[in-house]
Amino acid sequence: MQGNVAGGRGRPQDKFELRAWFFMRISGVILAVLAIGHLFIMHVFNSIENIDYQFVVERWKTPFWRTYDFVMLVLAMMHGTNGIRVLIGDYVRSPGKKLFALSSLYTLSFIILALGAIILFTFKAVG
Amino acid sequence: MKITLKVQKFDPEKDKKPYYKSYELDMEPMDRVLDALNKAKWDEDGTLTYRKSCAHGVCGSDAMRINGKNALACKVLIKDCGSKITLEPMLGFEVVKDLAVEMKSFFKKFKSVKPYLINQDPPPAKERRQSPKELDKFDDTTKCIMCGACTTSCPTFWADKDYIGPAAIVASHRFLFDSRDDADEERLAMMNDADSVWKCHTVFNCVDACPRNIEITKAIGEVKQKLLYDSF
Amino acid sequence: MYKGGTGQWAYFLHRLSGAAIFLYLLIHIVDTALLGWGPKYFNYMMQLYTHPLFKLGEIGLFAAVLFHALNGLRICIFDFWVGATRYHSQIFWGAMVLFSVIFLPVFYIMIQRVHF
Repeated sequence: MQGNVAGGRGRPQDKFELRAWFFMRISGVILAVLAIGHLFIMHVFNSIENIDYQFVVERWKTPFWRTYDFVMLVLAMMHGTNGIRVLIGDYVRSPGKKLFALSSLYTLSFIILALGAIILFTFKAVG
Repeated sequence: MKITLKVQKFDPEKDKKPYYKSYELDMEPMDRVLDALNKAKWDEDGTLTYRKSCAHGVCGSDAMRINGKNALACKVLIKDCGSKITLEPMLGFEVVKDLAVEMKSFFKKFKSVKPYLINQDPPPAKERRQSPKELDKFDDTTKCIMCGACTTSCPTFWADKDYIGPAAIVASHRFLFDSRDDADEERLAMMNDADSVWKCHTVFNCVDACPRNIEITKAIGEVKQKLLYDSF
Repeated sequence: MYKGGTGQWAYFLHRLSGAAIFLYLLIHIVDTALLGWGPKYFNYMMQLYTHPLFKLGEIGLFAAVLFHALNGLRICIFDFWVGATRYHSQIFWGAMVLFSVIFLPVFYIMIQRVHF
């Protein structure tokens, strides 16, 4: 068995799993509101038909929507990445494959998160 | 009533892989599945292998998959299974022969949580006293008979054999919440492990499988809560 | 296949929906990032998404997110109110009723926009 199952005497307790577990609940509750709200706005009250460049320009003029989307981006990426980390921990048994899988996950997640954040911060309407 | 008992057979010394063998038996509706197994073994196939001891639901020897779900063979009634009964060994442990599985790693995990009272204070003149309210906190988790039905019904355990499993966490809970035990810090350290409580994803298969009706997921949740609140 | 109860299926669907949503999310962030290259590429991509296959996918996405959110809240209930675990099956069906109440009108609205 891994970890300090044999007793944590003298070793500082590793609180990572506990914090990750707690984070999933907190971020999950917030995302339940943000994501479902987002889906209603985009797919029910609006639709693919009327969502275009101008639509986004109008929304992102207000700091409220930009902040909403940013919080949703960060929380969703962290919540999702941790979820996949748990799946990898459960199903990928060999240490070599596990290292590769986790490295790919963290790299991909970081790049996508950075990409989303850059767009949200720097977007300026063209023309 | 006439029943067909379909049993997964496997002798690692003879067979390449497991196979099913069916026995046609005449049983009473109020007989137990164990009675059917005994009849099949004694009257038809002496090689049929399974564990049994008390035959009335307290020793935990005959836990197995009955029609796809973990249960004690001596507790399940024939009438509740229908006329076709499929028996398979518990999942996740190596099959020793037919319905008997290797339980060594299960007991190793159980022992690893130090399932005994730890109290360094000098023992009192009489017994260590405890109120009914204090007993209530861990009474449920004293009921475990170590049959293995919970751990082998857990999808996390099937995927990751390093998971300490519900039975071990229940054993730890029993002492963690016992006011007479002093080793909270040590026990919580064992529970606060990536392969321990945090691998419980509230699937509830363990609760359904437990022949003693222990509220296992509740007990694991109480350990998680204790760890959470202690961390603040 | 182990004959588990509602808890097992809720767990399985929660994992499946979560993984599916995450994969979608990666693509979605990239396609939204196209905004940085001006209206031409972003609007072209939006046009692509009017294809009926994508529109059906949208409905599936809504179902997946809604299920994952509601079952997730169910899990939060068990984590913070441990006594509720006694009623885990009933709470699951309660969550499914809520799912239907929200999803059925949404499905009705969204399916009208799918033109084959």
